[in-house]
Amino acid sequence: MASSSSKASDSSSQRPKRPDQGPSGKDAAGLVALHGKLAQLKRQVQSTRLAAIKERVEANRKALQVHTCALFDVAAAAEVASRGAEGGNALSRGAAEGHRRFVGWDSASGPGERELVHVQEENLVAGTLVLSSSGGSGASHRTVVQLVKLPVVDKIPPYTTWIFLDKNQRMADDQSVGRRRIYYDPIVNEALICSESDDDVPEPEEEKHVFTEGEDQLIWKATQDHGLSREVLNVLCQFVDATPSEIEERSEVLFEKYEKQSQSSYKTDLQLFLDKTMDVALDSFDNLFCRRCLVFDCRLHGCSQNLVFPSEKQPYGHELDENKRPCGDQCYLRRREVYQDTCNDDRNACTTYNMDSRSSSLKVSATILSESEDSNRDEDNIKSTSIVETSRSKITNSEYADKSVTPPPGDASETENVSPDMPLRTLGRRKISKHASKSNDHSPDKRQKIYSSPFPFAMSVLNKQSVPEIGETCPDSIESAVDQLPSLDDPNKKISTKDMCAGSTTNTTENTLRDNNNNLFISNKEHSISHWSALERDLYLKGIEIFGKNSCLIARNLLSGLKTCMEVASYMYNNGAAMAKRPLSGKSILGDFAEAEQGYMEQDLVARTRICRRKGRARKLKYTWKSAGHPTVRKRIGDGKQWYTQYNPCGCQQMCGKDCACVENGTCCEKYCGCSKSCKNRFRGCHCAKSQCRSRQCPCFAASRECDPDVCRNCWVSCGDGSLGEPLARGDGYQCGNMKLLLKQQQRILLGKSDVAGWGAFIKNPVNRNDYLGEYTGELISHREADKRGKIYDRANSSFLFDLNEQYVLDAYRKGDKLKFANHSSNPNCYAKVMLVAGDHRVGIYAKDRIEASEELFYDYRYGPDQAPAWARRPEGSKKDEASVSHHRAHKVAR
Amino acid sequence: MAKLGPGQGLGCEAAVGLLAPSRKREYKACNKLTEGKRPLYAIGFNFLDFHYYEVFATVGGNRVTTYSCLKDGNFAILQAYIDEDKDESFYTLSWACDLDGTPLLVAAGSNGIIRVINCATEKLLKTFVGHGDSINEIRTQALKPSLIISASKDESVRLWNVHTGICILIFAGAGGHRNEVLSVDFHPSDIYRIASCGMDNTVKIWSMKEFWPYVEQSFTWTDLPSKFPTKYVQFPVLVAVVHSNYVDCTRWLGDFILSKSVDNEIVLWEPKTKEQSPGEGSIDILQKYPVPECDIWFIKFSCDFHFNQLAIGNREGKVFVWEVQSSPPVLTARLTNPQCKSAIRQTAVSFDGSTILACSEDGSIWRWDEVDHPKA
Repeated sequence: MASSSSKASDSSSQRPKRPDQGPSGKDAAGLVALHGKLAQLKRQVQSTRLAAIKERVEANRKALQVHTCALFDVAAAAEVASRGAEGGNALSRGAAEGHRRFVGWDSASGPGERELVHVQEENLVAGTLVLSSSGGSGASHRTVVQLVKLPVVDKIPPYTTWIFLDKNQRMADDQSVGRRRIYYDPIVNEALICSESDDDVPEPEEEKHVFTEGEDQLIWKATQDHGLSREVLNVLCQFVDATPSEIEERSEVLFEKYEKQSQSSYKTDLQLFLDKTMDVALDSFDNLFCRRCLVFDCRLHGCSQNLVFPSEKQPYGHELDENKRPCGDQCYLRRREVYQDTCNDDRNACTTYNMDSRSSSLKVSATILSESEDSNRDEDNIKSTSIVETSRSKITNSEYADKSVTPPPGDASETENVSPDMPLRTLGRRKISKHASKSNDHSPDKRQKIYSSPFPFAMSVLNKQSVPEIGETCPDSIESAVDQLPSLDDPNKKISTKDMCAGSTTNTTENTLRDNNNNLFISNKEHSISHWSALERDLYLKGIEIFGKNSCLIARNLLSGLKTCMEVASYMYNNGAAMAKRPLSGKSILGDFAEAEQGYMEQDLVARTRICRRKGRARKLKYTWKSAGHPTVRKRIGDGKQWYTQYNPCGCQQMCGKDCACVENGTCCEKYCGCSKSCKNRFRGCHCAKSQCRSRQCPCFAASRECDPDVCRNCWVSCGDGSLGEPLARGDGYQCGNMKLLLKQQQRILLGKSDVAGWGAFIKNPVNRNDYLGEYTGELISHREADKRGKIYDRANSSFLFDLNEQYVLDAYRKGDKLKFANHSSNPNCYAKVMLVAGDHRVGIYAKDRIEASEELFYDYRYGPDQAPAWARRPEGSKKDEASVSHHRAHKVAR
Repeated sequence: MAKLGPGQGLGCEAAVGLLAPSRKREYKACNKLTEGKRPLYAIGFNFLDFHYYEVFATVGGNRVTTYSCLKDGNFAILQAYIDEDKDESFYTLSWACDLDGTPLLVAAGSNGIIRVINCATEKLLKTFVGHGDSINEIRTQALKPSLIISASKDESVRLWNVHTGICILIFAGAGGHRNEVLSVDFHPSDIYRIASCGMDNTVKIWSMKEFWPYVEQSFTWTDLPSKFPTKYVQFPVLVAVVHSNYVDCTRWLGDFILSKSVDNEIVLWEPKTKEQSPGEGSIDILQKYPVPECDIWFIKFSCDFHFNQLAIGNREGKVFVWEVQSSPPVLTARLTNPQCKSAIRQTAVSFDGSTILACSEDGSIWRWDEVDHPKA
């Protein structure tokens, strides 16, 4: 590849490039020739194109003909069938009867200048259709046909096909009505163009010319023959609809393309997944996963949300514990014990026997548990060796590994059973700890062998260690065994890798034993660190962040299959000096932390700049509700506080100050913000217990918010009745009454023909005052979009716009639920209220009074006085006052 | 969903037909029938049964009428149906067949109600209520003539089974049309495919392959039609922006598509879809058939059984007959008559192309017959 690219650049430098030369006589002549050549080439391209079209049309015609002929056969068959059935050629027979037929004009009588005039007359009373023909040769005929009446069918009120939404959705980018939408008014017979009223729409970016093959040919030809001078470009411009700079750019592309083709050197960039950094690997996760809804591709909050990192880290659930049980036989704890034990091996040597037997018997009594633990260990081993490259260096060090790396598939069970042929010094050593639990049928000589090995104490320590803790770690091991079940399917692989591992472990242990104690970690480091890939390193850093310096958890949860606990630990404990030698692959722990820290800082910075950018854009557009001042388009609004502000999580790492996006927007910080829980701008939820959060005494209710189990003290969600062993509801069956939207505890709504106009929403079961009925869902659109759509909707006198907050309007026209059909009334039985539910504004419809079953639902759309249509205009008098009163009260509530 | 535009530039030119008639086939006006004063919006021959190849129907106002095209150049009126709702205005008709071959006539219009008429018994067979607004076109699946598809102002396209009266599928939603759907057509050979177009200036190609089990199910459904699990098809296979204004007629021509807007031309283009990744693909405009003075919407064209002749009327009452499958396109004839002046909304070409009918805004039907047609 390197050679080809160098060649390409070489030859490109050889190409005649004379941009600064004036046109000499010779060049001018050349250009004329070029012009001719290009014209010819163009004609050639065009004729090729026409020929290609002809070919394709012809091919299509043939295919179609085959098909229509087949269809004709079907029709002919149908004819035969209907004739056979004597069902009758009803239509033809009618014609043949003659009385309906008129023969007025002989088409052969002349060139047909004198047409017949047939006039029909409907006689609705008689139910007949009279057809009279006159003219032609003077003959006049009348044909009478009985009119068949099609009985009236009730038509349904008009609607546009809509899609049910159980949750608001943000408008997809391609759903805008666009710059120019033509609305056709059938009554006035007028086409209305709903284009942008404002001129601040950014002009569509200059469309880049897409070069066709034919144009490529022209450019290629011209540049090959005449170089890439300005004159040539000018000539090309006459043939190709593109700017000279575009053509120049294209010619470079073409040059590279053809050059490459001639060299026929294709780069195979097979990239290993592991070569990617975690940022790259997690890109889609970061972009597509919604951290508020916990779903991918969230339709409500959209993609590419700002990543907000909480400043308060969860306390590490598992602190590094000196008395910890090893997580597996690749656990770093084991090595530490080995290290300790080398000091007093004599004493251990004798105790191990007893300990081991004890462990066996204990394990027998808890077969399942230990088995699960085994699988756990196996799993760890798989992890450690699935990257062959990583382990290969170790394997080659091990004298036994060679044999165990490639066991024939059939040997799987054999290996499992520890056949005596196998090199048992390494394998058996492991099997002891494993199979002792399953059965005690191990031959004594096998043990003998093991204990005659140079490092018996290591193993015995292993078992000893696991015995006392086996009881308390049961749940854990079961859990992990369950987690790892899927990977148990492949016994072959498992065993081979396991054996491999055992080999390598032995080897390292051997090494460490042979080595000085001080060298223990350093020697091991040589194996593992050099093979830490970028992804593994990133995962490791993430692990440090999540679990603290707990190599067991990091290895098990994040690097399973990639690194063993021991490798993680040695990586963790490496000091900076050794790492500094490999600036690319390794960093000291401190360095890692520093880097990680820095990384988050940067990310935070990025998030902030994004926010800033967005703000900037918003300011530029100046198209919020207030600045727009659009009195023309009708939008429904909710009761209560008049204007809400869209909440966007802030990414503040420290206390929220003046710079905080939330503070600036005037919203409270929510649980999705980065700031700490003690942030002064946070909404702290309520402490209500018995009031069920149904009155204004509840701070949540008063602020038009639903309670949040994550925030409020006593509002929580219980599930089930306790029969499945889940904790019972707290507080004497008290259930918060202010989480209905969150929990979707809605009433059954029916859709029917309204008694008032068009469609209507009806309630199935009776409800009480202030009961929650359901949500008004729809597409979240900007105010600008709402104005565009609203113009059309208002024309059609059917608008489903609902003002949600300063940033969004809900449009239920195409997507929504049945409550969108609830009609307006100035004396309604329901009211709409915008509630903040988990950071999102949502519209709940509530009963204003008690509503009986199957009553139609109405609420006040609260259209502004100047945009309200006649049917929504407030009757003069008392009603108006009431509205203003409720307004006023609402404001008070907000405070 | 990405909208696809046609390729432009050198090597992407379309073959444009010349407006000089080849006079390969000569036609002469031989008859005129005035139904009334109300505009006739649709006319169509029955190609579903060999018996009825000479039978055609018209709709206009609240009336549906069937005629026979007599060989001597005359019409014979066969049946007339009248909707008791005087305000109904039928916009479209399509012939269909019941499973036993009974000829059915399907008509619909401003009320959004589909009327299925049994022409053998001269009785209303079924009425489909469901569309939320007026219906602009109905087409029949020739391979399964009891399947019909309707395009509506309610921005949806619906697939119905006239045998069981079931609405099987609704093509609308997230990727659906954003304005009235004006025209729809079944692919002639690929039974899963349909194309629709409308006031949102797009042509959408849909596939019901994944939903075909529901279509099968609709034939054996015995419960109430309203209980059928009607499915929404929300995403088309391809969205093509070939025109810059209302697209009011689209027809498959084999694997190619003929469509027209208000730009005085019909465009033949090839949609290249990708089965694996819906929404992707490309569009190649192959041919253009100029039609002068054809700049108002709701003017539809039609072809003969074998798709050899295409006839389209214009705003001034002229009919252009194109040899649609020749390349470059050849204008067969321009059919005119001094008395035929009002806009022609729809044409009908007989099975072999020897008779061309046109229905016009002033409520009359015009007939042109081929001179010296070998069959006549």
